Amino acid sequence: MAILECKSVCKNFGALAAVDLVSFSIKEREILGMIGPNGAGKTTLFNCMIGIYKPSKGKVFFNQADITGMKPHRICRLGLVKTSQIMEPFRSLTVFENVLVGALHGGQMSMADALVETEKVMEFVGLMEHRDKPSSSISVPARRRLELARALATGARLLLLDENMAGLNPYEIDEALELLRKIRESGKSLIVVEHIMRAVMGISDRIIVLNYGIKIAEGSPQEVVNDRQVVQAYLGEKKSSQLSA
Amino acid sequence: MDTVLLQAIINGLLLGGVYAAYSAGFSLIFGVMGVVNLAHGELIMLGAFTSYWMFEYFGMDPYYSLPFAMVFLFAFGYLIQKYIINRVIEMPHIMSYILTFGIHLMVANIALKLWTHDFRSITTSYSGANAALLGLIIPYSRLVTFFLALLIISGLWFFLNRTETGRAIRATSLDKEVARLMGVNIREIYAITFGVGAAITGLAGASISSFEIISPEMGLQYTIIAFCVVVLGGMGYMPGALWGGMILGVAQSLAVTYLSAGISVAVTFLLLFVMLIVRPTGIVGKGLVA
Amino acid sequence: MKPRSGRLTFWICFIAASLAVSLIPFVATSEYLLRIITVTIFWIGMAGCWNIMSGYTGYIDFGPVVYFGIGSYATAIAMTKYGVPFFPAAVISAFSSALIAIPIGITTLRLRGAYFAIATFAFAETMKQIALEFDRTFGVSFFQGSHGITLPIGGHENTFFFYCFLSVTFAVILVHYGIEHSKFGYGLKAIHEAEASAEMAGVNTTGVKLRAYVTSAFFLGILGGIEAYWITYITPADVFNVHKTVQMVIMTLLGGMGTFLGPIVGASFLTILSEILGTAFVEYYLIMVGGIIIAIILIMPRGIVGTIKEWKGIRFL
Repeated sequence: MAILECKSVCKNFGALAAVDLVSFSIKEREILGMIGPNGAGKTTLFNCMIGIYKPSKGKVFFNQADITGMKPHRICRLGLVKTSQIMEPFRSLTVFENVLVGALHGGQMSMADALVETEKVMEFVGLMEHRDKPSSSISVPARRRLELARALATGARLLLLDENMAGLNPYEIDEALELLRKIRESGKSLIVVEHIMRAVMGISDRIIVLNYGIKIAEGSPQEVVNDRQVVQAYLGEKKSSQLSA
Repeated sequence: MDTVLLQAIINGLLLGGVYAAYSAGFSLIFGVMGVVNLAHGELIMLGAFTSYWMFEYFGMDPYYSLPFAMVFLFAFGYLIQKYIINRVIEMPHIMSYILTFGIHLMVANIALKLWTHDFRSITTSYSGANAALLGLIIPYSRLVTFFLALLIISGLWFFLNRTETGRAIRATSLDKEVARLMGVNIREIYAITFGVGAAITGLAGASISSFEIISPEMGLQYTIIAFCVVVLGGMGYMPGALWGGMILGVAQSLAVTYLSAGISVAVTFLLLFVMLIVRPTGIVGKGLVA
Repeated sequence: MKPRSGRLTFWICFIAASLAVSLIPFVATSEYLLRIITVTIFWIGMAGCWNIMSGYTGYIDFGPVVYFGIGSYATAIAMTKYGVPFFPAAVISAFSSALIAIPIGITTLRLRGAYFAIATFAFAETMKQIALEFDRTFGVSFFQGSHGITLPIGGHENTFFFYCFLSVTFAVILVHYGIEHSKFGYGLKAIHEAEASAEMAGVNTTGVKLRAYVTSAFFLGILGGIEAYWITYITPADVFNVHKTVQMVIMTLLGGMGTFLGPIVGASFLTILSEILGTAFVEYYLIMVGGIIIAIILIMPRGIVGTIKEWKGIRFL
């Protein structure tokens, strides 16, 4: 049973179709990779799913319920959460307090419960050492983990990760991938948008490819890598014909 | 058409032109730097007073003192931006308008201390003279000021679109980072922009000195009008200042003619409030939203 | 987290200070002194109301005086036209302001930055104009326009008003305490920092902002009602005066926006300062206020308490 389903989602900005008739679904405990050149519409699609944009056409279903166009905070409370490309911690709050906000508001918990949950999530993600530091003072990998922690604290069942590994070195990427696997083990699903190919290929069960707002391929990492249209999108017409020749 | 209605509309249009003139600077400053200049009215006040003192001490006709007002206000605006407002330009915008609010308080009250509460006006040989056209009364001074307003706005357009500095300003407002990469000194451009905005506002202030009442406290109501005009026309969209000015001018004029003077003030605020709620990007929808 | 003992000491001091303050009328050496302290407490309450809304969320409200004015008029009209006694009238004031704040909040809180500031200011000025012109335009006798309304004199001494203001200010301070340690408070702070992220983390930003706005209006209404009864004569120019807004803003700014002690520090400092400068120096006072605002923004944007908190890494206050 699909935990999330997008049906023919379109988003137009004036004459530009940023997302054009995209349909896909994701199951529980699945990791779906989403790749595509810059400007392909990945972030826009995410924003349509979590309520920042209302789709021009099409519908989004989460746990079989129609969430199209609902307000972001309500979608978050239902269990669908996104991390940002531009990390925006609550600067005047400590790392702990940042995660606490997620537990209190997204998770709808009482203060007592939220405090306990925050401790658990911080432990799980490996942020305890940064607990009381101002959230603006921690390193990039720590900030990425903070984004994840805040999302997890809301009790999310499906996490949308928008370039959560940008700015990490290879060692940090491996650590991040480990964490994502841990998150999947604990029962969550993930949609991962990344430009770092080995990361996406390594972790995804399935991959979908977007280009100019259209889904041009879907399948296992192997299938997608060899798909002619995908190669064309990334490398251009000439290269892809060279490869298949 | 009914003469009373026509007169009200003419009055409104003349008024509107003037409104547009002194609101254009406000729109410019916001469009380029994102600064809402709550001390805007004080620039008008200073322009008007420049005219007044030139008249008092040198017997200079208000229209001759316009260049002085321009130069003086340019310097004033340039220095304020360069040494004060530029320091908060990288911070969240709320800082800049609390800052300009502080400047408003200081300037208005220093002026009050220096020049007292007294209302002043300039009376020249042509002060009460009117043109009579088709049974309508059109005061000469208002007419001249109206054309001056059109001149100011066209001048601004010319400056922004046909001069090197103007282009740099437009580039900065479109994309600060790219402009910087192109070698534009952002802080200098900001200072010049504020200077230009202040200069044309001061010019407008000086031009209304021949028929308006001048006092140190006059600033705030003009800031409100400027805000209303640019919200109506679209913040940061210069031609909008003309639309916004006309609409507000006519609305106020009709309110004064058919209702009462007090209601016209309420009309301004109500219009502003409604516009902000319903259509913050202005009538034509080209304004920037903070 | 921070050692409990520091916080405990703070609270013991605070409670002791509160008790001491409540005994002031019995030890005050003159009516004049009592009045000054009452005025200070009044401004702490006013600044506190502004802090609840603007200090914590960062939505700079330039029209809070409108709810003060509505409260003043509600009490005045209730007492003069309908013979309602003072305490119920004050309650009516609170709810009048709060109820009007709901639709206004819903519409204006969708705006950001300077637009919100100007919209709230525009609303305040509109209300002032309504109070001035309503009767004349519709031929009724309700607001009394610029003639103003004279309230019945209740024969209460300054001590009575001292305790009225003290209770309200105390309530406002309790709201601050509630904010500092609650889900609501974290919501407010999250909105201040990054409203979009807050919304995505599950914060009902509209609801949280509205709650702060209406709470602030509620207490401003009561303060307006008490003030009306104290000075016994109100006019639109008085009770809807933008100068009151300026005071609230500068006091909170100086003390520290979004802090617990900020309004207390800022209001006390500025009330005493303006008292020292006296009425002859009203114009200098405003020049100074302007200068202080500029100085704070350039040098100490977090205000006195905020800057101290940052230096010493203290979390509460």
